[in-house]
Amino acid sequence: MKLIKPSSKRKLKMLPYYFLLPPIIFLAVIVVYPLIFSLKLALFDWNLINLREREFVGLGNFLRLITDGSFWNSVRVTFTYAALATSIEFFLGLLLALIASQELKGIRFLRTLLLVPMMVAPLVVGLMWRYLLNANYGVINYFIKHFLRIIPPEWLSHPSWALPTLIFVDVWQWTPFMFIILLAGIQSLPKYPSEAAQIDGAKGYQILWHITLPLLRPVILVALLLRLIDSFRVYDLVYSMTRGGPINKTETLSWYIYQVGFKFFDFGYAAALSWVMLGITMVMCSQLFRVISRGTKEQ
Amino acid sequence: MKMKSLLGFSVLILVITVFTFSVWAEKVVLNGIFLGASWGVAAQKLAEEYEKLTGVKVNIELIGRDAIYEKLALEFASRASRYDIFNIDYNWLPQFAGAGHLKSIDEYITPQTELEDFLPKALEITCKWGGKLYGLPQTVHPHLLWYRKDLFENPEYKAEFKEKYGYELMPPQTMQQWRDVAEFFNGRDTNGDGNPDLYGWAAQAAKGYGNVHTWLTFVYCFGGDVFDWETMEPTLTTPEVIEATKFWADMLQFCPPGIHEYTFAEVAKDAAVGRIATALHWSWSSWEVDDPNTSTTLGLWEFAQVPKQVESAPHLAAWSIVVSAYSKHPEEAFKFIEWLENKDNDVRQTLMGGGDPVRISSYSDPRILEAKVEGTDIPRFRRLPEVLKAMETTRPRPLIPQEEQWEIVVSQYLSAIQLGQMSVEEALEVANAQVRMMMERSGYYKQ
Repeated sequence: MKLIKPSSKRKLKMLPYYFLLPPIIFLAVIVVYPLIFSLKLALFDWNLINLREREFVGLGNFLRLITDGSFWNSVRVTFTYAALATSIEFFLGLLLALIASQELKGIRFLRTLLLVPMMVAPLVVGLMWRYLLNANYGVINYFIKHFLRIIPPEWLSHPSWALPTLIFVDVWQWTPFMFIILLAGIQSLPKYPSEAAQIDGAKGYQILWHITLPLLRPVILVALLLRLIDSFRVYDLVYSMTRGGPINKTETLSWYIYQVGFKFFDFGYAAALSWVMLGITMVMCSQLFRVISRGTKEQ
Repeated sequence: MKMKSLLGFSVLILVITVFTFSVWAEKVVLNGIFLGASWGVAAQKLAEEYEKLTGVKVNIELIGRDAIYEKLALEFASRASRYDIFNIDYNWLPQFAGAGHLKSIDEYITPQTELEDFLPKALEITCKWGGKLYGLPQTVHPHLLWYRKDLFENPEYKAEFKEKYGYELMPPQTMQQWRDVAEFFNGRDTNGDGNPDLYGWAAQAAKGYGNVHTWLTFVYCFGGDVFDWETMEPTLTTPEVIEATKFWADMLQFCPPGIHEYTFAEVAKDAAVGRIATALHWSWSSWEVDDPNTSTTLGLWEFAQVPKQVESAPHLAAWSIVVSAYSKHPEEAFKFIEWLENKDNDVRQTLMGGGDPVRISSYSDPRILEAKVEGTDIPRFRRLPEVLKAMETTRPRPLIPQEEQWEIVVSQYLSAIQLGQMSVEEALEVANAQVRMMMERSGYYKQ
């Protein structure tokens, strides 16, 4: 038997780390460095145009947002948007997944059709709906006026309708995402618990509530987390459909950060806002994770 | 012999190197970013010709307005020299020139540039900052009052109007006359189907898509301004601005439904399909109502000065071409701009649909005066005499480095007025305070 020298043994032990080194360096460059840089930015009064005039303000940018009415408005709008869009998408996605998991005729075609909105770029979706919903030339208002004989609202410029309209478009585009994840989850569930319950005389909704949904918890958690994070940073739809208007009714946090960063060039403050947004998202996700995974453990 | 051939070989290598270097050095490549509008397309086409004439290649990228603004900021922040030339909305000039990111072109100006031929306000407003010249104007398009000639000449309408208002129906010259006209035509059913299909007027009114631009024309015509230029205090709460804003808000009732969503495109579209009797719109856009393929009002629109209250002072829209301070070929970049905006090319750009001319001589050029809308006898550039007149009284957006931010703040409160969420006084009060805060943060008012 040939003995390996201790030095070679150590080298062998280190080998996996050498292989890991390139991705670690890569990640450090594209993730860690920008994060540290943006944290540095957040501590400065840093205008992109007048770089020479940057000034260290410490937590000044973070304190500034306490009295910034536009920031609080954008937080409120973002929470409303994310909560409503995600929950509606979840319920619709679940419903569609339950239907699509049945072996019905034409279900394959329906599944394919349902995925189409998700494949379109959000900016294109925004522009498309902007034209469809146009108060004068939009085909939707045309049908409402001529067939339902009612005067439709100005979807994108009415203070009460603009945000629900954006949520509707988000639901249109992203319900398929919820659907595809939940469908995959449902199809991977073991059949025997529901079959056993069926034999015991359980009704469909009882099987759904007591068996399918509890078993689906991990999948639901992933789907909700992904959609929540995504809808929380909505930007494209706001940009292409309302630009934060009417007034500030659709001014989401991402849109506000974009304005501060790329219109006011106030990069220090924009970086501080981004960090706050990141913090909110992390707290929100960890809470959601706790609530859902607690249920899984109780099972 | 061996030594001789070695020497000969070295000389040959040297000659080749010098020749190659000189050829390489002569081949200048300029990179520019232009707006993806018709004047950007015109510049792109002419750049090909420029390369044939001079050997200087000019690559022109066409992108949207927001994208140009972002790109400018990022390029300048990193002091990058990838782009030599930028097509800019003039309200960005104070910001970028003020921070030293643009190259002053004063040193390159020669009599051949013929500066005196440029429309004075175009040159002054869109290219000068701090007494220095940073570029040349490419297109101007001040607000004009658009009106449907056929409606104003209709005998039935004329009689009805006279009976109702006590004076002749005519293109309005005062704000009150315009209100009467807008009210008179608004909500009419011209095709007899029982539904209104004609409205008084239209203009950009969407938040962030130009409601500020429309409102500014009202403010200027009412004798107001948005800053006290001595103290730099915002003046949104002065009686003139309040009166103008009230008038503008009141006038909105005579607009088509959905006016609060109106951007540039909707106004031109409404004019082309004959849904409005008058419009407050940019001069250049009138090609859309004269497009034989899409317009149902071909040749029916005429143009006049914006109605006056105190004066007729339309708000100006214009784009200029500037040179980056970090360009490696600033002189070559200037030469291209100078060529692009010479007398002949100013006319050619106009004929290519590029935008309204920036040189005084172009307004009397026979090629422009004689041009007709394709397949018709309608003078294609009949708006230009009015543009020339408007360029004497036109006024810019507030020329401050924080203009974009100013516009965003004001736009939001104008939107609140439009939608009845705030009174004029209340909204202007808040907007004024917000603008003041913005200016204070930017370092104004320091003792």
